[in-house]
Amino acid sequence: MTVLGGIGFTAPWLLLGLLVLPILWLILRAVPPAPIRRRFPGVALLLGLKDDESVSDRTPWWLLLLRILAVAAVIIGLAGPVLNPDEQQADGSGPLLILLDGSWAGATRWQQQSEVIDAQLTRAARANRTVGFLSLTAPQEPAFQSADVWRTRLAGLQPEPWQPSNANVIRAIEITKTLNGFDTLWFSDGLDYASRGDMLDALQDQGTVEVYQTGANVLAMAPATYEDGAITLTAKRAIAGEARDVTLNAQGRDPAGNVRILATVPARFEAGAMKTTAALALPSELRARITRFDIAGQRSAGASTLVDDGLRRREVALIAGRENREGLELLSPLHYIGQALAPTAELIDGSLADVLPANPDVIVLADIATLSEAEQTPLLEWIEGGGMLIRFAGPRIAASDISRDTEDPLMPVRLRAGGRSVGGAMSWGEPKSLDAFRDSSPFFGLEVPADVVVSAQVVAQPDPTLADRVIAALSDGTPLVTRKALGQGQVVLFHVTATAEWSTLPLSGLFVQMMERLAVSSSSATLDAQDLQGTTWTPLRVMDGFGLLDDAGNLPGVDGADLAEAPAGPDLQPGIYASGDRRIARNVVTTDTILTPATWPGDVPVRGLYVAPEVPLAGWLLSLSILLLLADVVASLALSGRLLKRSNAAAVLLAALLHMPAPADAQDADQFALNATSEMALAYVITGNPSVDQVSEAGLRGLSDTLYFRTSVEPANPIGVDLETDELAFFPMLYWPITPDQPRPSSDAYVKLNEYLRSGGLILFDTRDANIAAFGAASPNGQKLQNLAAPLDIPPLEPLPGDHVLTRTFYLLQDFPGRHPGRDIWVEASPADAEQVEGMPFRNLNDGVTPVVIGGNDWAAAWAVSSNGAPMVPIGRGFAGERQRELAYRFGVNLVMHVLTGNYKSDQVHVPALLDRLGQ
Amino acid sequence: MIKPSALRADAEDQAARFPELLARADHLAGAVLLGAHGRRRAGVGDDFWQYRPAQQGDSRRLIDYRRSAMGDQEFVREREWQIAQSVMLWVDQGASMRFASDSKLPEKADRARLLGLATAIMLQRGGERVGLTGTSLPPRSGRPQILRLAEVLCQDDTADYAPPEHRAMIPHARALFISDFMGSLEGVTLALTKAADRGVRGVLCHLLDPSEEAFPFSGRTIFESMGGTLSHETLKASDLKTRYLERLAERKAELQRLCALTGWHYGLHHTNTSAQSALLWLYSALDTRAGAAA
Repeated sequence: MTVLGGIGFTAPWLLLGLLVLPILWLILRAVPPAPIRRRFPGVALLLGLKDDESVSDRTPWWLLLLRILAVAAVIIGLAGPVLNPDEQQADGSGPLLILLDGSWAGATRWQQQSEVIDAQLTRAARANRTVGFLSLTAPQEPAFQSADVWRTRLAGLQPEPWQPSNANVIRAIEITKTLNGFDTLWFSDGLDYASRGDMLDALQDQGTVEVYQTGANVLAMAPATYEDGAITLTAKRAIAGEARDVTLNAQGRDPAGNVRILATVPARFEAGAMKTTAALALPSELRARITRFDIAGQRSAGASTLVDDGLRRREVALIAGRENREGLELLSPLHYIGQALAPTAELIDGSLADVLPANPDVIVLADIATLSEAEQTPLLEWIEGGGMLIRFAGPRIAASDISRDTEDPLMPVRLRAGGRSVGGAMSWGEPKSLDAFRDSSPFFGLEVPADVVVSAQVVAQPDPTLADRVIAALSDGTPLVTRKALGQGQVVLFHVTATAEWSTLPLSGLFVQMMERLAVSSSSATLDAQDLQGTTWTPLRVMDGFGLLDDAGNLPGVDGADLAEAPAGPDLQPGIYASGDRRIARNVVTTDTILTPATWPGDVPVRGLYVAPEVPLAGWLLSLSILLLLADVVASLALSGRLLKRSNAAAVLLAALLHMPAPADAQDADQFALNATSEMALAYVITGNPSVDQVSEAGLRGLSDTLYFRTSVEPANPIGVDLETDELAFFPMLYWPITPDQPRPSSDAYVKLNEYLRSGGLILFDTRDANIAAFGAASPNGQKLQNLAAPLDIPPLEPLPGDHVLTRTFYLLQDFPGRHPGRDIWVEASPADAEQVEGMPFRNLNDGVTPVVIGGNDWAAAWAVSSNGAPMVPIGRGFAGERQRELAYRFGVNLVMHVLTGNYKSDQVHVPALLDRLGQ
Repeated sequence: MIKPSALRADAEDQAARFPELLARADHLAGAVLLGAHGRRRAGVGDDFWQYRPAQQGDSRRLIDYRRSAMGDQEFVREREWQIAQSVMLWVDQGASMRFASDSKLPEKADRARLLGLATAIMLQRGGERVGLTGTSLPPRSGRPQILRLAEVLCQDDTADYAPPEHRAMIPHARALFISDFMGSLEGVTLALTKAADRGVRGVLCHLLDPSEEAFPFSGRTIFESMGGTLSHETLKASDLKTRYLERLAERKAELQRLCALTGWHYGLHHTNTSAQSALLWLYSALDTRAGAAA
């Protein structure tokens, strides 16, 4: 490669072609542009006219320059220019092995690394070296191929979500021993792992080794733990350097179901510290939505940690007897429990048979003594499968024989008959308060408020197992809450009611805390090899090296002990694992993972991941030459006068190239709103057909003038409305002429139109074809109208009745002609119960403005006036035509009056005056 | 030598255009029809004009007894005088008229025929006699005359620039010339002076294509007349624009001067404007009522 002024040329001899350019200049200059032959009758007037002296019969110099530049760009482009030619490294020869760590630790800078690899492949391609790839996280026999082939496959390289294991490295060493003689580029992710020194030795036996390793620190995140009402997040780093602030994100689905960052918490690595922790206290509702935590700015499997059941929102089914009782809400047996659980759990209502198939996490039975056989069996199965049944006592349980002599499987203890009541009017003693919770109780640590007292309860029979099953007791030692395990699930009995009848417990904050403790402990998932021994877990979703979750497909199941303790690898991919109803998140980095930075011996050159990329300029120059030639085409056409005449297509193309769609400017919208609202204005819908739009505009102008002269309505100039972009709310009415070819508005526009109609707007549809009797199929305009109006929220219609308010809002009218004299126009149907009262000329009709008026009389044409005020379109013949035009104006006036005054003239107060005028 | 088959095909082609032209012209004329018009003075006709007191010399037959019975005086019912005027058309059929600068615009010849025929239809409905200048189709009244006119108007002339036909002008008739007046002005001068000699007054409708007014050309161009007899080459057409426009203005001024001398009306019409406006103007300019033609 030859380097000239910082730009390298792969084929410098081609530059000699530039010498031809001056010759080309002379040749091109001698040839004038060809003439156009043009037929023109006015030639008779041209005869004898002479051209000026200065007229160009040669190609102008700038056009020549354009062409010469185009040719020069081609020559230089073919000479293969390269910007930033990499001259510092020797190109070398022989096969080249690119060795990748390929672990999650490099995922954040994977793009950067790919660019460096690409630059190195470009170099290798120039030196005709074959290249092989070997990844230590998934070692396979490298295939040595041409570097250009590898460049096309570079995007397919992905990091794996684990570190190179010892076995992997040993396998890689074996592979390299089978090859003979190659240089190595080792892209290290910056973390140390076992046998890395052996690998380096094996590579150095084969040839030179260069290492590429980022100087940036590797960050990772340990699984989140939930302690003392807060989530504890731990971030780690490989190199204990200076103090550094990081932001930890909690991601999850918002109520709309979109994944977003729900909370962020800052954390600070102190100088010299390898890890930092941050506590994130969140409302439990928000906490239950979190699916993962990650470190802001990092994009790797190690820097994100998945969240499993621990923070999930539970489904709780609430079931009470007396389903159909119409009682007070506060007496509902489920009121307090529902209030306590609603913030943190999904509540399910329904009968037991309905909710069991939904497989809730918890079922609460409030004072239900007996269950039918058909309910009991599936309920037992559900509990044994991991469900949690919480029962509350009550008068029914106290009165029943359940669990009297033998222990009911759905009861944790046997009960004495009748229960007891203390501290009441008919009993001895004080109401009992709660004892402090013992440390074996799940409630251990909760503060017992002094005002929680129990005045009645059901009492457990003494049994050998009773002591183990009590998790809360009264101050006299009587069990208050008992629990027993049943299969994988458990049954909990509160010996009091779920209402405040027997105790004040449901009124206290303790009740909520107890519920939370019980619900939380119902499926706590801790990764403990002992617990998981012998279970098999199937992967649901697995993470890739970048930390993105993907469907697990049909990956094989994993043994529970391995899941808890074995390091992540191809056989144990990090992700979400499921066994039955339980979900466990397996993360790459565990609590005790230590990140060790990789160090290299002094004789191995280590480079950073930054390179000034070589930029081949040939493509750009060749593109430039094509652009120049295109410009030459346009310029030549323009010069010979053909641009806008013969080659309209070229002009259109050029216009399309130059046209940038301007975004709708907020200022324009403001201006439009100001114009539309500073004075009342009539509006018409722009159909896209220029002649129709022009007539609409002129028609509404004529109507506005008429209104101005005859009434107190003084409209401004009419405004054309684009349904897609313009706000409609400013206009009292819209005139909408129908053309068969107008585009159908978008769904957004229909939303606006319906909003407009509902908020009192009026649309005057005009099919302009006088063919309204058949209403529809008869004419193309009618069909179009049906098509356009179908999505509109239009009430039932009827032909305008003779006593409609439109017939008398300003003028007394019975005909509504436009350019066509047809009478049929359609308005909102009058209510079915409107009846004419004896002695009244009108029925008491609609209360409000009809949202649509549909007709076909082409009113705008009748109203249309030119700029000097003269009618634009002839109407009818002679005086009869003028009369028709006058009636059309009167209809317009009536319509606008109707829109602006509503049913004012329908008011029966005016009847005497109207009767008087009607001569009755 | 025209082959009979070619002649027939040509004739059928012409015939196919003819009803369409007729229909369009009818339509156009219908749009501005203002109703039958009288001479605004008492005379022979169908329409009532006025009642006047009977004078000496009036025949007793003329007395309108129905009106006279309302009073003591005797009245005579007079009818409006209606007289037919002869109007002669000349529509330029030269090759230069078969030009349209844009595919959306009609050819000048097309517009000229349309205007001519529509005027003829209006005049015919008004009861006038319409015909062509020259001897080919002298003025006659009645609907069949319109058909004959349409037939003759559909013919094309091969000459590049046709001079106005000035023979066989009927004294004191009206005339309408529609042309682009791009050819030599001598023919026009001759025709107008001859017409003025015979008391014929009328209207010159100067029909131009918009490109003839704008001269929107540039670059090296060879201009040719429609028939190909004239040509002019220029290296830079845009330079000619001002001088061309000057010449065109001179020509218009000359035509206006001629019209002023001979008592004709001069009107300019472009093919990109509405034919109706031109027709309205033509009709008012041709209107033979006293004082109506300003």
